[in-house]
Amino acid sequence: MNSRGKFFYGVMCAAGVVLAVTGIGTFALGKPPMTHWVLMAHVAAAPLFALGLAAVALTWAGCCVPGADSPLNAPAKALLWVILVCGLVVMLSGVLPMTPLIGASGQHILYLTHRYSAVVLTAAILLHLPVLLRRG
Amino acid sequence: MLADKTTARGNSSQVRAGSVRRQFRRPLLAALALVFALRPAPAKDLTTESRLPFLHNIPLHDAQDRVISPPPLLSDDGKPQEPKASPYSTAKTCGKCHDYEVISQGWHFNAAHGDVKAGRPGEPWILTDPATRTQIPLSYRGWAGTFKPADVGLSDFDFVTNFARHLPGGGVGEPDKIDAADPQMGRMQISGTLEMDCLICHQSTGRYDHEGRFTAIKGQNFRWAPSIAAGLGSFASFRNAGSLADQWRPGRAVPSTLPALNYDRSKFGADNNVLFQVARRAPTANCYYCHTSEAELGDARWHGDTDIHLRAGMACVDCHRNGLDHRIVRGYEGEVRDRSVSEGMMDLRARMLRRDDATLSEEQARRLARRQLQAELGLVETLSCRGCHESGRFGSPRLTHKGLPPIHLEKLSCTACHSGPFPASGPAAVHTSLAHKLGLPAPVRGKNTAPVIIETIFLYGADGKIEPCKMVWPSYWARWKEGKLAPLLPAEAAKAGTFPKQDNDDVPRDPYNTTPLTDAQIRQVLASFSDDPANGQAAFIAAGKLYRLEHGQLVSEENAAAKPYAWALAHDVRPAAQALGARGCADCHASDSPLYFATIAARGPVEPANGLRKGMWEMRGDDKTVASVFAFTFHFRPLLKWIVFGAALIVLAVLAHYGLRGVGAITAAAPAKKSPP
Repeated sequence: MNSRGKFFYGVMCAAGVVLAVTGIGTFALGKPPMTHWVLMAHVAAAPLFALGLAAVALTWAGCCVPGADSPLNAPAKALLWVILVCGLVVMLSGVLPMTPLIGASGQHILYLTHRYSAVVLTAAILLHLPVLLRRG
Repeated sequence: MLADKTTARGNSSQVRAGSVRRQFRRPLLAALALVFALRPAPAKDLTTESRLPFLHNIPLHDAQDRVISPPPLLSDDGKPQEPKASPYSTAKTCGKCHDYEVISQGWHFNAAHGDVKAGRPGEPWILTDPATRTQIPLSYRGWAGTFKPADVGLSDFDFVTNFARHLPGGGVGEPDKIDAADPQMGRMQISGTLEMDCLICHQSTGRYDHEGRFTAIKGQNFRWAPSIAAGLGSFASFRNAGSLADQWRPGRAVPSTLPALNYDRSKFGADNNVLFQVARRAPTANCYYCHTSEAELGDARWHGDTDIHLRAGMACVDCHRNGLDHRIVRGYEGEVRDRSVSEGMMDLRARMLRRDDATLSEEQARRLARRQLQAELGLVETLSCRGCHESGRFGSPRLTHKGLPPIHLEKLSCTACHSGPFPASGPAAVHTSLAHKLGLPAPVRGKNTAPVIIETIFLYGADGKIEPCKMVWPSYWARWKEGKLAPLLPAEAAKAGTFPKQDNDDVPRDPYNTTPLTDAQIRQVLASFSDDPANGQAAFIAAGKLYRLEHGQLVSEENAAAKPYAWALAHDVRPAAQALGARGCADCHASDSPLYFATIAARGPVEPANGLRKGMWEMRGDDKTVASVFAFTFHFRPLLKWIVFGAALIVLAVLAHYGLRGVGAITAAAPAKKSPP
C-alpha cells in the first residue's frame, strides 16, 4: 500500500474515532441523544470521514480483490469490503434524513440503521487495524 | 312550616302558594298519591343514551327544589299579576337528571378542592388594577409562580366577585357550608351561592347573556345570575343583593324578603315547562367565551386564521372531551400521569357493574370499577397531538416530518413548531379572555393593557422538551421583611401610598391607564408608604425587578419574587405548511432565529428600558455560544450534504465496479468448469 493510501486510511480512522466517541460514546456512557458540542463534533467529523472513506475505496479496493497481488491477507481484504459497505450505509442513513425525501417512520428506520451499521463499521475498523499493523 | 320557608325565600313563592295551591290542591294531592303509588325510578337514573339530543322541555326548580310556576296573568279577583318567582337553581333543575355532585369534580370547578393533582401549569387568574399597577397571577392549584388567593389576603368571596365574570360557578363560589360568622362569606346568605351554570357551556342557541350575568354578579346577585343569563327573566328589584348584604353583619338576621326574578312568561309552555336548547357537546363558540387567545389585537383581528382543526370542521370538544365528572382532557403528552379516577365516576361505574352482575358485592364492584377506570385513563393520551396524529384518529393526517431528523421529536413538543403565531422577531402581546375580560364589552384593548401577557416564549417543559409558552410578570406593591415579600392587594396599596392620578382628560385616550411609572414616580410612591418598620420596608415588584428605597434613593435589582410566570400554549395550531421548519432549517437554526435569539423584554408598568431583558436562550438556561456556533454550522450544511452524497456515490461506484467484476469472474469461471478439457 502506498503512502497516499495509508494517509487516506489514517484520515478515515481519525474521523472515525471522533464519530465513534461522540456517537457510540454518547449512547454507551452519556445521555442520548447527542446535543450541543458533541453533536457539532459528530457532524463536523462526518464529511472528513466520508472523504476519507471514498479515498480509501479508490486507493485500496484494487488490492483487496480476492486473488490480487497484495501484502494483505484474506481477512484484511474481506474486512475492507465490510468497511466500505458499512461506511456507505452509515453515510446514507446519516444524510438522507436531512433531505425532504424521508418521512417520520422512514427516518426512524434510518436512525436505527445508522446506529447499528455504525457499530458494525466501528467493529470492522477495530478488527482491520491490528490485521494491517501485523502485516506492516 | 312551608309558609315560613316561602316567606324567607321571597315573595314569588307567596304568590304561587296563594293561587296555585287553592286551585289545584285536590288534583295535586291525587297526582302525588299516584306518583308515590307508582314509585317511578328517580330522575337521576333516567337517560336516553341516544346521539339524538334529548329535548330539554323541563320544569324549573328553585334552590329549595320547588317547581317554579309564575302566577297566572290575572289573580282570582281579576287583578294583573307580575310573573315573579324565585330564580331557578341549576343544581335542582339540571341536577334532576345529571349528577351535579359528580360534575362538580371537573377541572372547571375543582381548583380549590385540594384533593386533585395540579397538572401542567395553566393560565392563572390575574388580579389586575391599573390604578395601582397591580397584576398578580393567582391560582388555587398552587402552580409555582402563582399565589393562592389566601396568600395575598384575597378571600374566596373576593375571588368570586373579581373573577366570576369568567367562572362557570361551583368551586369556591358554591361552598359546602356558608359560615354565617364570616363577614364576607356570610353575605352568600343573601347573594346566594354561585352554582355551576351548565348553560354557559351547553346552551346551543347563542343567546346566553354573558354581559347580563356579569352585571348580575357585579351586583352580587349570584343566585339570580343563571336565570338572567339564560334570558328567563330579569332581576325584580332596584337594589342589588350586594347592597342588601352591605347592611348585614354577622349575628344579624338575614333579610326575610329577597328580590324575586321577574320571569318572561313566554318562556313557559302550557305545561309550565321551559325549553332549553342545549348540546351535550359544548359548541366551540361557548368555549371561546373563556378561552379566546387573541394575538392579533384591536382592529387587526381579521388577520387571524384561527385553529387549523376548527377550520377542518372539528370542535374543541372533539379532543377536549370528558366523562360525567367533567375532567376534560387537556391534551398534553403525559397528562395521564396527572389524572386520577374521580370518586364520582367510580361510584357511577360501580353502580353499573352491580346492575350487570348482581353477584358483585359493593366492595368488589368498586375495586373492579377502579381498575377499569384506571385502565381507561390511558386513552387520554390518544387525544394528544401525537396520540391523534400517530393513530389517524378523526382521519388526522399521519406524521410525516420529511427532512426533519428524529431528534427534533425528542427535543421539541409538537406545539413548539405548530402552535401560536409564527415566531416573528420576538414575543408580542396577547390578550386572553380570563385576563382581559374578552367577551365583555369594553374600550378597545391595546398591547399595553394590563395585564400584559406575551407570547411566544420557548421554554423547557416538565418533560424536558421545548414548548411554546405565554408569560406574565407579576407587578405589585409589597412589604419586605426579613427577606420575605408580602404582596399588598390593590385596595391596601392604594390606602397605604399616594399614587399618581391619571388626568381625567387623558382617560378617553387611555381608558386602561397604561402610562408606565417613571423611576421618580416609583420613588415617590414608595416614599409615601407609611414608614412602619414593624410591617417591613415598602417594595415594588415589576417587570422582573424589585424596587425599594435605600437611604432615600431608588434601587432596583433582579429578584426571584419578580420572576415571570409562564404556561404552555397549544392553540391556535397552524397548518403543517406554516410550521416552524417548513421553510427550512434556518427557521430555527439561524443566527437571528427567535427560538434562540429573540430578546424578551419584561413587561410591566415601568418604562420599557427599565424592565429586565433576556435572550430566549437565557430564559431557557441554554448556552448562547453553543446556540450561536450551531446556528453558524448551518451555513455549511448544504456543503456537508454534497460531500457525503458525493463520497457515498464514489464508494457505491467502487463497490459496483468490483462487485460487477466479481460477478463477471464467477460467471466466466462457471462454464469453464463444465466444458471438457
